[in-house]
Amino acid sequence: MVSIPITSSMQIAFSSQHATKRPQPQARQARSSGTMPATHVVTLNVKQQERAEMLVDKSNDTKDEVKRDEMEGSVLGFVDERWKKGTWDLNMFVKDGKMDWDGVIVAEARRRKFLELHPETAANQAPVLFRTSIIPWWAWVMHSHLPEAELLNGRAAMVGFFMAYSVDALTQLDVVGQTGNFICKFGLLVTVIGVLLFRRTQDFENLQKVADAATFYDKQWKASWQNEDATTGGTPK
Amino acid sequence: MASIALKTFTGLRQASPENHHSISLQKAVALPSQTHRRIQIIAGKTSPKITGRNLRVAVIGGGPAGGAAAETLAKGGIETYLIERKLDNCKPCGGAIPLCMVGEFDLPLDIIDRKVTKMKMISPSNVAVDIGQTLKPHEYIGMVRREVLDAYLRDRAADIGATVINGLFLKMDMPTSENQPYVLHYTCYNAKTGGAGEKRTLEVDAVIGADGANSRIAKSINAGDYEYAIAFQERIKIPDDKMKYYENLAEMYVGDDVSPDFYGWVFPKCDHVAVGTGTVTHKGDIKKFQLATRLRARDKILGGKIIRVEAHPIPEHPRPRRLFGRVTLVGDAAGYVTKCSGEGIYFAAKSGRMCAEAIVEGSENGKRMVEERDLRNYLEKWDKTYWPTYKVLDVLQKVFYRSNPAREAFVEMCADEYVQKMTFDSYLYKKVVPGNPLDDLKLAVNTIGSLVRANALRKEMDKMSV
Repeated sequence: MVSIPITSSMQIAFSSQHATKRPQPQARQARSSGTMPATHVVTLNVKQQERAEMLVDKSNDTKDEVKRDEMEGSVLGFVDERWKKGTWDLNMFVKDGKMDWDGVIVAEARRRKFLELHPETAANQAPVLFRTSIIPWWAWVMHSHLPEAELLNGRAAMVGFFMAYSVDALTQLDVVGQTGNFICKFGLLVTVIGVLLFRRTQDFENLQKVADAATFYDKQWKASWQNEDATTGGTPK
Repeated sequence: MASIALKTFTGLRQASPENHHSISLQKAVALPSQTHRRIQIIAGKTSPKITGRNLRVAVIGGGPAGGAAAETLAKGGIETYLIERKLDNCKPCGGAIPLCMVGEFDLPLDIIDRKVTKMKMISPSNVAVDIGQTLKPHEYIGMVRREVLDAYLRDRAADIGATVINGLFLKMDMPTSENQPYVLHYTCYNAKTGGAGEKRTLEVDAVIGADGANSRIAKSINAGDYEYAIAFQERIKIPDDKMKYYENLAEMYVGDDVSPDFYGWVFPKCDHVAVGTGTVTHKGDIKKFQLATRLRARDKILGGKIIRVEAHPIPEHPRPRRLFGRVTLVGDAAGYVTKCSGEGIYFAAKSGRMCAEAIVEGSENGKRMVEERDLRNYLEKWDKTYWPTYKVLDVLQKVFYRSNPAREAFVEMCADEYVQKMTFDSYLYKKVVPGNPLDDLKLAVNTIGSLVRANALRKEMDKMSV
């Protein structure tokens, strides 16, 4: 019910970029030198590059003013019937009498995706007032169901079962006894933290990369001090 | 026996390399009078006294770093030569100086074209946040014209006694042995003779390289390379009613369209605005980024005329070697530009001053020859004083400039008053103040929350097949 207006409005938004156009872009195209395509195709990288090059040539030729038609940007801008005056109208997200935060999250993501592909001018007359902090934390948690959570829980359960079995075999402590033992509890804590940090093999590399990146700047600054011994009376290398 | 006495003398100083000191101390062992001087711990005591003249120091480059260094040297009684290739150079530059620079360098207030008291940060999805509400009435970011500032500092140095030479540094001959002078070769431009200029040489005892990002001094001492960003800027003259909006407001645009690792800006200058952007990793696309910046600010600069296009390199980190013998680098030549904000003017001037102070102290106002370890004192002092600032900005850049979600989180964070206060305090006074731990904790939680939300939206965006 609510989703239909979304898809239809998006259809309008995106179909404007194809051949079915509104009259205004046509007029603008006629006014300008005609070297510019007014269409924005979804595969933007190539077209943007071409447009950019053409616009650069144009500005190089005339060293020109900042004209409205020189930088079309997005012809239409982001349009959605629930986006009013720079913020989402939360009343329109009510589903079955309850607030549909999932819908808000999806709508905001769609807006950002649109703006990423078609950057818009930041006009003072139409400021963006929406802040994502308005969405409660539990809505985020319920929304982002990680498929890897299932994987991790399964792995943790298997590890837990076999660890309990082997500790029992080695120390004669059954599960009830293990939960009372300090060393076992500490080992459990370490294992839980380890599972959180090292979920996959690539996490090892990622953490290594993070550590390297964090200290790289320090190394660049200390380079002057490493050369100290080398510079006593030595010739430049 | 004398050497043992001298070793304890060096043991009282900082933990710099001891073997280095012992090498240079050997030559002074023969003088018995040195032993009873070891109670006084002053740098450069073992260097020979200069007779008949003062220490000669050449400063190559007449920007903020060179001007500040020359002024401090001249005040300290040292024979100073400032070599600048273009005395009316309009260095392309953002032109922002912090409040503390006005006080520390006694800048007259008419040098400052504009006092920026408000900033707008604009996220990739055009969320605009105003920062600057926490500024006190006397606090501002000064916008200057580089040609005005540089000329003022140079003229002040000349008034105190430095010799300003209009010339282009060509190359430098290293000293043949200890305490021999450096021979500088330069082309001297004379306003009267005009034309190509004549080749001259100059003998000096120490050299300060303040000649900017493409420093020739750095090349002659094999200082090594650094990564640098390209900053591209267009000066646009906009109609008066639009200029009123930028009266004391500067804007910063962040986003992948504007720059993958930096930001786009609109800074007000004396009677026009400078619209620009920069990047380290995608230098070839800089024109595309500039167009995107202009697009984002389109309505606010509509009808403007581009009066000038300029670009300049910005170092990203210090050069591997900032000091060699009695030659040292300061300012952009050394690579003292912060990450995240790309600020360099204040640090250039401050490093020039600090280096000159170290030379004045090490040579006892020009009476003794200065040595490498005196200049190393400057490096130590500099690193100790400003390392926290640089590191914090580096962390900020790494965390918040890496992707669009991070930038969204960044702009969201900037709306917080505590963040604004901390940011401006550390920017205007160049001190990293710890702040209230409880507020810091709240800030950390909010930051993580913003980052998590923005990344969750990014995951949602990726799912969409637009």
